[in-house]
Amino acid sequence: MDRQLLLSKLKTIVASYSHDKDALEYLSETTDFTKDLKINSANLVDVVLDVEEEFDIEIDNLSMERMLNVSAAIEIIESKLKEK
Amino acid sequence: MIGNDIVDLLQADAESNWRRKGYLQKVFSSEEQQLIHSASNPCQMVWLLWSMKEAVYKIHSRKKNWQAFAPGKLYCSEVKISGQCASGVVTCQRIRYFTQSSLCPDFIHTIAGESFPIEAASIRISSYDPSDLSYRNTAPATVSHHGRYLALAYL
Repeated sequence: MDRQLLLSKLKTIVASYSHDKDALEYLSETTDFTKDLKINSANLVDVVLDVEEEFDIEIDNLSMERMLNVSAAIEIIESKLKEK
Repeated sequence: MIGNDIVDLLQADAESNWRRKGYLQKVFSSEEQQLIHSASNPCQMVWLLWSMKEAVYKIHSRKKNWQAFAPGKLYCSEVKISGQCASGVVTCQRIRYFTQSSLCPDFIHTIAGESFPIEAASIRISSYDPSDLSYRNTAPATVSHHGRYLALAYL
């Protein structure tokens, strides 16, 4: 999947949980889910579940541990898509 | 070292649907899920266990310089509820931490420490105003805010 497309799908997902609309507007690969987007930790679980549904992949616990920012999320999604 | 965590139950209810498929499995061990399903108030148990994990994560992450989103690596056990008070143990990477929680109709607050009984801490819970950061000058040992509430603990 094209990286831009992947990023835009991810942006749609995190938009539902972000408490910082400016940071969301300027979302980039360095954006941190909790520090920048102010997503609360209970909603990080929703981000992971939404990603699983959207991309039809399974995020194992080890991957979830690292899913703290956009670049890690993209890297994890890309690697899970390759495994399919 | 101490850590605390507050959950605004109204906010949690509005923001999080823990009943969604797969949610509990990502966060809780099978023993913890058992506690939730057998609790007289499952919603309260979800947020009690959650706040125990968060409060302990605050200590463990500072102690070990460990940053991860790994609620499944913090195991709650020995959870005892008596009226509006709860106590428990959270184990992370083989280290045991101790927790004490207040179960109020509107919020759950947990304080965690490295020994039992937990170091004497004074806890101050007030309404949270995001524009008022003056609490930072009071040097709290640990800070948590969620929804309508700000919780500070001092040693």
